[in-house]
Amino acid sequence: MSDSYLVEPDVGFIKEVIKLGGGDVKKCYQCATCSVVCPISPDTKPFPRKEMIATSWGLKDRLIGNGDIWLCHNCGDCSTYCPRGAKPGDVLAAVRAYAVTEYAVPKKLGKMVNDPKSLPILLAIPAVLILVVGFLCNVLFGVKWLNFAPGGDAIVHGNFFSTWLVDIIFIPTFLFAVGVFALGLKRFLADIHANAMMEGKTNKDNKEKIDPAGFIQALIRVLSTILQHKKFNECGENKERATPHMMVLFSFIALFIVTSIFFVALYVFGQHGPYSQLNPVKWLANLGGIALIIGSSLMIMQRLSKKDQVSSYKDWSLLGLVFGLGVTGMLAQLTRLGGLGGVSYFVYFIHLMFVWCLFAYTPYSKLAHLVYRTVAMAYQEYSGRK
Amino acid sequence: MDKKYGVYICEGCGIAESLEVDALKSVAADEGRTAKTHPILCSPEGVDFLKKEIADGVNTLVLCACSRRVNYDTFRFDGCIVDRVNLREGVVWCHPRDKFPKLTEEEKTGGDAFDRVQMMAEDYLRMGMARVQKVALPEPFKLETTSEKILVIGGGVTGMSAALDAAKAGYDVTIVEKEDRLGGAALNWRSQLPVGDPYDKLIPPVIEEKIKAVQADPRITVRTSTMVARLAGQPGEFTVTFKKPGEKIQFDVPYPLPPEMLVDESGKELDAETLHKKYLEYNEGRADILTLDPDGELFGAVVLAAGWRPAKLEGDAYAHLGYGAIPDVVTNAEFEAIAKKGKIARPSDGKPAKSVVFIQSPGKDEDDSDFSYAGAVTSLVSLKQAKYVREDYEDGKSFVFYQHMRTPGLNENFYKSIQQDPGIFLTKGNVLSVAKGGGGLMIEATNTLLGEKLKVKADMVVLAAGMVPVTKDDPVVNMAYRQGPAFRDIDLFNGYCDSNFICFPYETQRTGIYAAGAVRRSMTTEEAMEDASGAALKAIQCITSVNRGVSVHPRSGDMTFPDFFFQRCTQCKRCTQECPFGALDDDAKGTPKPNPTRCRRCGTCMGACPERIIGFADYNIDSIGSMVKAINVPSEDDYSEPPMRVLGLVCENDAYPTLDIAALNKLSYSADVRLIPVRCLGSVNVIWIKDALSQGMDGVFLLGCKHGDDYQCHFVKGSELASIRMKKIGEALTSLALEVERVAQFEVAIDDYDKVPQIINDFVESIEALGPNPFKGF
Repeated sequence: MSDSYLVEPDVGFIKEVIKLGGGDVKKCYQCATCSVVCPISPDTKPFPRKEMIATSWGLKDRLIGNGDIWLCHNCGDCSTYCPRGAKPGDVLAAVRAYAVTEYAVPKKLGKMVNDPKSLPILLAIPAVLILVVGFLCNVLFGVKWLNFAPGGDAIVHGNFFSTWLVDIIFIPTFLFAVGVFALGLKRFLADIHANAMMEGKTNKDNKEKIDPAGFIQALIRVLSTILQHKKFNECGENKERATPHMMVLFSFIALFIVTSIFFVALYVFGQHGPYSQLNPVKWLANLGGIALIIGSSLMIMQRLSKKDQVSSYKDWSLLGLVFGLGVTGMLAQLTRLGGLGGVSYFVYFIHLMFVWCLFAYTPYSKLAHLVYRTVAMAYQEYSGRK
Repeated sequence: MDKKYGVYICEGCGIAESLEVDALKSVAADEGRTAKTHPILCSPEGVDFLKKEIADGVNTLVLCACSRRVNYDTFRFDGCIVDRVNLREGVVWCHPRDKFPKLTEEEKTGGDAFDRVQMMAEDYLRMGMARVQKVALPEPFKLETTSEKILVIGGGVTGMSAALDAAKAGYDVTIVEKEDRLGGAALNWRSQLPVGDPYDKLIPPVIEEKIKAVQADPRITVRTSTMVARLAGQPGEFTVTFKKPGEKIQFDVPYPLPPEMLVDESGKELDAETLHKKYLEYNEGRADILTLDPDGELFGAVVLAAGWRPAKLEGDAYAHLGYGAIPDVVTNAEFEAIAKKGKIARPSDGKPAKSVVFIQSPGKDEDDSDFSYAGAVTSLVSLKQAKYVREDYEDGKSFVFYQHMRTPGLNENFYKSIQQDPGIFLTKGNVLSVAKGGGGLMIEATNTLLGEKLKVKADMVVLAAGMVPVTKDDPVVNMAYRQGPAFRDIDLFNGYCDSNFICFPYETQRTGIYAAGAVRRSMTTEEAMEDASGAALKAIQCITSVNRGVSVHPRSGDMTFPDFFFQRCTQCKRCTQECPFGALDDDAKGTPKPNPTRCRRCGTCMGACPERIIGFADYNIDSIGSMVKAINVPSEDDYSEPPMRVLGLVCENDAYPTLDIAALNKLSYSADVRLIPVRCLGSVNVIWIKDALSQGMDGVFLLGCKHGDDYQCHFVKGSELASIRMKKIGEALTSLALEVERVAQFEVAIDDYDKVPQIINDFVESIEALGPNPFKGF
């Protein structure tokens, strides 16, 4: 490292991080208490001290491609023990939010997702999309995929918004999200590897490229850590958050499985919903729905009670979405069973909007940590850093 | 005064349990004095009892009770001589009977046994009785006329604050300022550091308000374009001659001869007459210090607030920073001038300086020292100036590279607020180089908080040059003192003119002259204003001590002053040269002229005088000598194994309190020592040591303050002078066939109470190893 690093602070970046919830970053005086108390920081080149100075100096290039910001689970121990109230935990969360928008294209959409003023537009997009596509399909193909007067005794959501309509919109949206992630990840992986080599955080620094087989193996090893929330449970301050987080994660997995099964049931076996409540898949669906509501409620309550921790728009919007998803899904089912047709159809419509938001906006929102943290943890495992 | 003696023994605080009071009484009776006892002498009843005794005619009291450092107000009886024999802390408490057992009935009748503790008490009683015979009641020294005016040298923020404070207290003040207007360094500033709550932002300089207040104050006279040509005389009657800067006048202060002119070609010391001739030649055209300017103005005391100048950065040490070679590398003072003019622009081409690097430490090598004379103020100034860049340019950036960022006290709030600015970047770091490059400057640094070698582009670089006290370059006060016009040996303090920085702020080595502000240490405006109050109060205290004929700090209220028996003076000049406060001015023949109000009553002159003609009413060669002689030195004629007798001359400022604290903590030391408090080790005359050894005492030690570069001596030079004298006495001892190890000097600090018993015991043991003094018994 004989070459000097040319420092060119990006004041705009600092201001952005401050807006995203890192408002106390400049209070840091580099005592490194944070790195010492962090229960999950590695021994070599521990975070978050170096990330704190890099942030307060506006060294964007040192942070965006730095895997360490994703190793942080926002335990909050650092913020609790920080003698200056610089809240490293919240600063790193803000930097992560910034990094997400850097990797997700188009960047404009990323900006909107993190800007409360754009919320009405973002919510209007799925509503308009569903109505316009439905209307167009009805007109162009002569189908009744969008039917405001579904007949029949039973309340069938599929009669209101045809599953065809839903899937014709949602599958491309899902693939779009996957595509955005794929593009982001390609750069992300290259960046964190380059960063790790530069900062000497990997023992594989003689290799220019990541070895795919080794990386996949590391990813598999890390998945068990993630599913068991092993790292999260090492946290001190925010340990109680691990359980609700786990509930939400597993409910998403459960609901994903349920959706996949019903997808296959519908298109392969031609079995239309609604399905019987006695169906074990339905049990899984209801279990997942309940876990989602309880988990997200707990998380909201915990955020509300933690006055010393910064909760910004990026946190509330995601929690709101998750909670909304669970509640509208459950309500749509309950009102359907309760025979409240009109209400049920309306709630189902809202639910569909939320699901679309979840799919479309994940690469730009806080939820993107699902991908970036997983990859960063896998890379950490792969890099052999102690 | 016709002395009528009384001896009083207190029986409280464990004295009567430990000691044979009747035996003590008979010691007094041996000297023809009747000793009376009281259960608790310091109780109201005890004091009434003493008052009754005084009413009955007793005027010289020997109180055998506690240390003189306690109950001093209880046992102060006006018009009486009082000696305090320290039986409690000095004997009983530090020699508990479980370690120093009393004699058994059997031993008492046996004849050859002795009670060391009782012997100690009896000796102290004898010493007290001897002392009171030799001392007199002091009478104050009063000047014929005392001026109560205060002279403030320097019209900057410190000087003006001092003047305003003194004026508020009712004193007339004259400010002299060598520039043509008031204000000083602060006139050159754009903004200044906060001076009050909440201490978090820059404020407009307070100097204009100060100037207005000074100009409006009827008690303050301002003399601009004026400096002190000489300040003669002494506190209470300083005669001051003013002049315009650059003028040469008759009353410019003469300088003492430099050391090389004090000797002839062969290196031999010249005689007084030749020296005086040379001195007159050397100072041709200038009146001697003893010639008073008839037109001089009288002042009672002086506040020295002459301030500072920016340090000059010269030499190769800073070549790597480009100073001098690159026009856009400037000092903080130069940067302030640029900022004062308007938006910050590069000196080289006048373009906006939007990226500025502030370097606090020269760096380069592993050395982490700052620029000389830098400190908290230069740290704070770098933060202030970093803010200027941000004030001037929306997209401005300031970088501060420091090894030490010092923002003491509530200035921490200021630091925090600067830190909050998104365009200000602070890091510890070692600056390697400043070079031209990329249309501006490139600064390279290593060991930064960012963890690697880094480069920063900048339009300007600002170096944190320190604040040099003006007393480093110039005497300023121009004292017509024989020891010279400047403060002595202030190179020890890098030119700052303090005398004992920690213990006595504002005190200089010249009584009546009190330093404040940047001449004392580098300080902020806020600190300087507070400092000014301190120095103004000191000046007032000095005036109100002088007009009552008592000493100022540290022996505040002491009415004694050194008395010279001039008939026997040999004009050796030692007293003049050794006085730490320059209180003596010798005349053409070398006879000292005392200036009693300059004197701080340390007694260094008394310790120096080989003729022993200097003394104080209550502290003189004879009073201490008689105490030494009053000590019983048992020999083999008295006991088959007589105990050692070791004399300890103990500085009353730190060492004696240390021993009291040791006693309070029930720490014990050898009972064979006899301790005599002295005003300062500088006042110890070697005759006392010779007397002690010639009467058969086995060893003598001096216990005083630390000396050397970081001395703790209350009188600056006392313990150092003592150590020089002790070296010389060694030669005399050898000629008497006595081991030099019998005399020693030890240093203690006031909190060394846990160490001092060991020091004493070790010395007594070393004396025991040498064996008894061969002169014992003669």
